[in-house]
Amino acid sequence: MLSNIGNSLLFLNIFFGFLIIHYSINFLKNSNTTIPKKIYHLSLLQSTSILICFCTLVAAFLVSDFSLITVYQNSHTLKPIFYKISGTWGNHEGSLLLWAIILTIFSFLFLIFNKNHPKNFRLHTLIIQNLLILGFLFFILFNSNPFSVINPIPKEGLGLNPILQDPALAIHPPLLYVGFVGSSIYFSAAMASMITNYSDSLFAKSIKSWVVISWTFQTLGILVGSIWAYYELGWGGFWFWDPVENASLLPWFAMTALLHSLIVLEKRNILYFWTIILCLLTFILSVTGTFLVRSGILNSVHTFANDPSRGIYILIFLSLMIIASIYFLFSRYKPTNNYLNSNSKETFVLINNWFMMFYLITVLLGTLYPIFTDALFNSKISVGPPFYNSVIIPVVTVFLILMAVGPQVKWIKNKFTNIKSYLLIILAALLINFLIFYFFKSYSITSNLIIISSLFLIISSIKDIFKKTNHFPRVISHLSFGFLIFFIGLNHNFSIEKDFNLKLGEKKQIDNFQFFLQDLELTKYPNYQAVKGKIKISNLITSEERTLKPEIRIYDNPQTLTYEASIRTNFLKDYYLTMSNIDRSEYYNIKFQEKPLMIWIWISVISLSLGGFLSLFRYAKYN
Amino acid sequence: MKLKILIILFFLNFSVGYSGNTPVESQIHKNLRCLVCQGQSVADSNSEFAQTLKIVVSDLIDQGKSEDEIYSFLSEKYGDWILYKPKFNYENLFLWAFPYLVLVIGGLILVYLIKKRRNNA
Repeated sequence: MLSNIGNSLLFLNIFFGFLIIHYSINFLKNSNTTIPKKIYHLSLLQSTSILICFCTLVAAFLVSDFSLITVYQNSHTLKPIFYKISGTWGNHEGSLLLWAIILTIFSFLFLIFNKNHPKNFRLHTLIIQNLLILGFLFFILFNSNPFSVINPIPKEGLGLNPILQDPALAIHPPLLYVGFVGSSIYFSAAMASMITNYSDSLFAKSIKSWVVISWTFQTLGILVGSIWAYYELGWGGFWFWDPVENASLLPWFAMTALLHSLIVLEKRNILYFWTIILCLLTFILSVTGTFLVRSGILNSVHTFANDPSRGIYILIFLSLMIIASIYFLFSRYKPTNNYLNSNSKETFVLINNWFMMFYLITVLLGTLYPIFTDALFNSKISVGPPFYNSVIIPVVTVFLILMAVGPQVKWIKNKFTNIKSYLLIILAALLINFLIFYFFKSYSITSNLIIISSLFLIISSIKDIFKKTNHFPRVISHLSFGFLIFFIGLNHNFSIEKDFNLKLGEKKQIDNFQFFLQDLELTKYPNYQAVKGKIKISNLITSEERTLKPEIRIYDNPQTLTYEASIRTNFLKDYYLTMSNIDRSEYYNIKFQEKPLMIWIWISVISLSLGGFLSLFRYAKYN
Repeated sequence: MKLKILIILFFLNFSVGYSGNTPVESQIHKNLRCLVCQGQSVADSNSEFAQTLKIVVSDLIDQGKSEDEIYSFLSEKYGDWILYKPKFNYENLFLWAFPYLVLVIGGLILVYLIKKRRNNA
């Protein structure tokens, strides 16, 4: 029953898509300058019906309707209600439906919130966005239909992968999708802008808030994913440069570059084509990321079921997008006067873009390179954290300093009058850095440079807060970014890791820590059993004592073993401990980490995205 | 084959032989891929393979091998797939050089744009 409703709604959506395109094309020729009510209504209907379609799937998960393959494969009657709901988008088919929702709703919102822009520009955006929507709806309907039925109907579902049964992972996909699927709307708008010749400052105004929205949510989405990786994957890190993590970072770099070049386009009417390229690139990278993750072409910790036919479909879709983008770029390109003064805000914004492109290409190359070597030289290589760290970190140092100087620079022509204050800030940064390694521990030259440059950015941004400035959101974001790098640097250098084996009742002393495995107990839960360890950690120098309780969980549906880290967080540091059983042995492998300032890394990213929200509010107020 | 026996021997000795890692060891563990896992390093993994490899590494250190020697020893046995930091060789030249090439080209474009302005002015 639910399957029929869902399928009908999908067909209805395809119908609405075609109808909107049909009417929009008709109205293009009309001399009327306003868009008729009919199109608004259709777009609203389209959004409503895709939402109902999604609710149908949620309902199927809630009542455990195992006649649907997707529900059968990803749910179980004994699963808590919360995870039944989040299971809806915790799989390939359901998450594509979420894609379609965001494409559709953004299409509607863009239509109603841009009434002061010309009719043809808006209609073209609508047409292109609906082509994207149709592309995805066909993909859902013919290749990845969440409403496909199974016969005979199974009595019980296979259950959701336990590591996905987690609150952070429940909200991670929706946040991330608002980010990178949301970027579709400025892809469409950029195309429309080239077709209708609606360019420059006005075009920048029409997409600005959409770029900020997607950037803000992308940032939060990446954050939530990292937090999940930190406490669920059990290795105590939050970023592994895994292909799937990279896939979310690539559009973020493009969005960040776009966010900056848009300011120049809006204020100075230059860099139009470059901005268009960035608009197109962001969504192209989003689809590329989806392709890499869903086709299973890369080896990653996020194992979404792999199916080559999906890959081929997305690849065709992607190629069409790229070909169309390139075609319009070449056919509409006009040489423009990019008046730039070496010492001007424009130049500094371009410097931001220059670095963003460097990060983007490094990460893209690192992610794809193993595929090339496999194909060309038949050799399998891994590109992991050491590569990215050694290529990117030295460059970040310079970037942070320019990020502190850039915002102070004036438009068109600048003169540095405040060199003295920069010298003072550098001195302060050097002093703080010296104090850190004098009182705690020395670290490598690269780490020194990173910490000095991040301090430079932090201090200059704090100075900005006290100046009368109307760029508060920018100051907050730059400051947070400085803090983010600063805390990551300290965290990296002052983390302590111990890896050893322990049996019940045993005490072990390593450096100034003593570990004592006091107790092991077996507890039963509705959908799993857990072996809980009780480990007392005493710091022999500070005589601090903590008891951590890591778990080994045995899930029933599907049968899986997971290791739950025990984490004690405070404002100064996290204690992080995982315990795993060793076959044929009474010993347990213990991984203990002391991670300083962990919580501040999360707070920095939250406040980074806060800058985005603030600028949205301000934008809404003035328009 | 010899190595396999060696590894099994190591493994039987496991509970006795492995008693905690030094910073150098954990540094090395982080740079090695756990071959039986999905995108995890040896340091992060709970698998038997990772446990065994940790013993191999600590044994190699005891033999006085340097970090680089250990990497080349392991990549000979298991292939380059095991190393998270790709070697700097002919095949990977593009990987290591291209990002910096982009940086230089980007810089040149910027300089060109600024120069153009000066000529126009």
